[in-house]
Amino acid sequence: MRTSLRGTTAALATLAVLSLAACGSGDSGDGGSGDATGDGGSGGDAVTITWWHNSNTGEGKDYYDQVAKDFEDANPGVTIEVSAMQHEDMGTKLDAAMQSGDMPDIFMERGGGELRDKVDAGLVKDITDQVGDQLDVIGGQAAGWQVDGQTYALPFSLGVVGFWYNKDLFEQAGITDTPTTWDEFYDVLDKLEAAGITPISVGAGDKWPAAHYWYYFALRQCSEDTIKDTVASLEFTDECWVRAGEDLEQLVAAEPFNPGFLTTAAQSGATSASGLLATGKVAMELAGHWEPGVMQGLTEDGQGLGEATGWFAFPEVDGGDGAEGAALGGGDAWAASADAPDEAVEFIKYLLSDEVQQGFAELDMGLPTNPAARDSVSDPALAQLLEVRDSAPFVQLYFDTEFGQSIGGAMNDAIALLFAGQATPQDIVDQTQAAADAEK
Amino acid sequence: MSAAAPTRDLTPRRPAPDAAEATPRRRAIGRPSPWVYVLAAIVVFFTLLPVLVGVIGGFRTNAQLAENPAGWPDPWVFDNYLNVLQGSQFWRYTLNSVAIATMSTVLVVVCGIMAAYPLARYQFRGREGLFTIFVMGLLFPATVAVIPLFIITTRELHLGNTWAGIALPQAAFALPLTVVILRPFLQAIPKELEEAAMLDGTGRIGFFWRILLPLSRPGMVTVGVLAFVGSWNAYLLPLLLLQGDMRTLPLGVADFSSEHASDTAGVFAFTTLSMIPALIFFLTAQKQIVGGLQGAVKG
Amino acid sequence: MTTADSAPGAPSAQVPPLEAALNARAASRRGRRRGGVDVRTALEVTLFVAPALVLMAVFIVWPVLRAVQWSFFRWKGYGPLEDFVGLRNYVSVLTSEVFQGAVLHNLIIVVASIAIQLPLGLLIALLLNRRIRGRAALRTIIFVPYVLAEVIAGVVWVQLLQPQYGIIDQWLGALGLPSPEQGWLGTPDLALSTVIVVLSWKYLGMAVILLLAGMQGVPDELSEAAQIDGASYWRTQWHITFPLLGPTMRTWAFLSMIGSLQLFDMVWILTKGGPANATTTMATFLLTEGQRRSNYGIASAASVVLFVVALVLALLYQRFILSRDNTVDRPAKTPRPRRSTPKAVTA
Repeated sequence: MRTSLRGTTAALATLAVLSLAACGSGDSGDGGSGDATGDGGSGGDAVTITWWHNSNTGEGKDYYDQVAKDFEDANPGVTIEVSAMQHEDMGTKLDAAMQSGDMPDIFMERGGGELRDKVDAGLVKDITDQVGDQLDVIGGQAAGWQVDGQTYALPFSLGVVGFWYNKDLFEQAGITDTPTTWDEFYDVLDKLEAAGITPISVGAGDKWPAAHYWYYFALRQCSEDTIKDTVASLEFTDECWVRAGEDLEQLVAAEPFNPGFLTTAAQSGATSASGLLATGKVAMELAGHWEPGVMQGLTEDGQGLGEATGWFAFPEVDGGDGAEGAALGGGDAWAASADAPDEAVEFIKYLLSDEVQQGFAELDMGLPTNPAARDSVSDPALAQLLEVRDSAPFVQLYFDTEFGQSIGGAMNDAIALLFAGQATPQDIVDQTQAAADAEK
Repeated sequence: MSAAAPTRDLTPRRPAPDAAEATPRRRAIGRPSPWVYVLAAIVVFFTLLPVLVGVIGGFRTNAQLAENPAGWPDPWVFDNYLNVLQGSQFWRYTLNSVAIATMSTVLVVVCGIMAAYPLARYQFRGREGLFTIFVMGLLFPATVAVIPLFIITTRELHLGNTWAGIALPQAAFALPLTVVILRPFLQAIPKELEEAAMLDGTGRIGFFWRILLPLSRPGMVTVGVLAFVGSWNAYLLPLLLLQGDMRTLPLGVADFSSEHASDTAGVFAFTTLSMIPALIFFLTAQKQIVGGLQGAVKG
Repeated sequence: MTTADSAPGAPSAQVPPLEAALNARAASRRGRRRGGVDVRTALEVTLFVAPALVLMAVFIVWPVLRAVQWSFFRWKGYGPLEDFVGLRNYVSVLTSEVFQGAVLHNLIIVVASIAIQLPLGLLIALLLNRRIRGRAALRTIIFVPYVLAEVIAGVVWVQLLQPQYGIIDQWLGALGLPSPEQGWLGTPDLALSTVIVVLSWKYLGMAVILLLAGMQGVPDELSEAAQIDGASYWRTQWHITFPLLGPTMRTWAFLSMIGSLQLFDMVWILTKGGPANATTTMATFLLTEGQRRSNYGIASAASVVLFVVALVLALLYQRFILSRDNTVDRPAKTPRPRRSTPKAVTA
């Protein structure tokens, strides 16, 4: 079950996804293209709400169908048109829907700069006044979905990125402890190489998995204040941004990655980065909370790495300014389109309720944001992540999400070039700055 | 292709699409030596390799594929294909693909031959200018305009998630090539025929209807097949416009391969089966295609 | 728009219909004179061409004009179009190293496609033009890749080209040959060449079919006469068949060029323009900008540039290459040279 596979890839990525795409897919019902928006307004007698989500297979799909039905039963006159879509397709259609102005009433939103753009364009409903209670419950986790103090969406799943590894292969290479510093990490690489095991897979073909390395180095090198200032000023002047690239350059120079990593896909098929980890061809991969679910989908027995699945945090960097334990992550939130009826907001509140979030957690559909659902998470690896997330001093949103697609895209491109040995740490900063200047 | 001297056009040209006439007389020059067959074998091998990998892969299990990607089925497994054929999705997608491709093809052939007729056989000022418009159409890739196209189709024309919403734009983008191929084909039909028809009191429209249409069948088949294949294989526009039960086979392949990402053999089977309709369509028409294209390239 | 008016958009609506019809009939009976306003012809032309033009206007011109409009704005793809930036999008497209690389890649693909597919296509077309066993089957097989969807063919090629585990690397290994460590598509220096090989595989069939069609238009008598004169097979082809195929080759090369300039699907599936921008094309650039980065203004500017590049090349091609077909080759089509000796044609 993968609720929030990341994909900065939009429309055409789906072409590539054809290969063997990331998320499962089922037969969604008729994709409603928001034909209800017109008759909504202010809660008359009969209201239809369109809801787009990406839990389009198996239990997750069934669960959301049930949730919608329960809400309908409790609110006579309200009909919810559910469209479960393949993740990449949903991104494409959402883009198109926003362009045509024919938006679904409730949709998934990743927050950050992407949300800011939509808010500026007047596409998203300000729900601050209606969701006060829910904000108290989920606390600071909603920060990524607030613009100028107003709340535009409620995150229902928030995960963090770290190294997923194959316990068996680590054992085979004689590695007993997971690394906590980069010196230890390089020792691990040496041991794996010595044992004839490819250490790391990375889906640099999709760019964002490669970019996560730089994001994390930046998170270790830059203080929280520096990051916040940069997000506000869009001036990448602090030297820590360059140091992040230097750390990454050193890692790339050690050549720990799978053959062909420059065109390897992130999650689609057995030869993707996740597929290589799932089938025991590499020892580890840097990825988010979705990884166990993805790996299960990529192995025939549906188990992924099963018992051999392990997780450790991105190691600390010596002399970095970053807060110890700070985590890189991101999540998905429910947002309502600007002209959605009030019932849509009610439904979003219901989706964040203890009851719905507990069911969500029981099915391991993601990492719930409502603390009441914390104990319902059954998967041990996810439970471990939840702890890491909740003990982190702060969770930094993926930088491409944080800065928005234009700047984030330029950043990711430059980072991918560094992986190919064709860009310097300074180039990453320069090209990101150039894209940021175009935004001002 | 200039209209420079209409009078010179009246001089008898080589009589007509002569595929039919030439074939029986065609004689191979010399006797093929064995290396010709070697060359043919090499060509066949490289052409079919990727296709065969898919077809044969569909007859293997995932375990076999994992063990040796290049191996032969041992034992042969038919479940992959049967599963696809027994599922309702495959047939639903096939129906949509057939409907959309047929609509698009009919539109292309009808509009194309109508447009090509005056461009080929009328003398009027601005004819070359008009033809240039069609040639220019070749220069617009559908990808360039796909987002505005999407918006126009759904918002302005309210054709989102309909067969027509895909077929109409596809036909539009196929028209330039169609006209470019059909025009020289129609030009090659001898003037004498037209003059004879005129003497009999048949107007130009009657000539078009009774004589030109039957004669240009090979050309129409050619552009029809190209349009059908183009529509059948299209991915981007259907992705944007179609949802749920309206999806076409390429979208179905995408969905299937993501839904069953670990089932490589099943993906091979689904992919292989989805190729078949376009292949059959081509096979049945392929004899006429060479004849049809011949008209085009003789220009 | 289509009301009771039988000829939508006909400019000739004001001319008295009866008079026009009489004129037209008189004119058409005499076999069309130049100069005079032939209303009936105009009407017929309009009727015949209108459906095609309407379709193209609605689904090609209209969206393209929208794209042109967007190219002058900074626009995220939603919300009102209000941030007018003049030519800034064009400046950023034209100064972008990635875009410059994309243009270069497109040009390389244009040249390489022709340089590879033309000789191979000729060779195979000659082969298929001989009376060999299984010719019909061969002709079908050679066209199979062209019929397959890019997405499907691309997916299979990606599997074949996998580093280490892919069939191609395994076979090379079995032959004791090395393969690139990062894979054929993953090594920046090899990726473009690999893409070109796959493209040649995909589109060779089109070249073969067109050339074959052209060859069937070459009268047998010419070759036979030459053979009787003792010319070898290859000499005959070189001096007789190939020159007569000129228009065919030029038509095919034109279509190939246009296709290469607009190349998108296959590249996107194989490499997404990577590794390290080694295989970007203008079309992948504009889709990356538009869909992935939501810079619709820049993407639209790129699509306008793509169109202009294609237009300029097409005009140059028309001016310098296709124009030969209107002059040099035309006499060759009249019956006379048929009976003449080969040297008249080769001259």
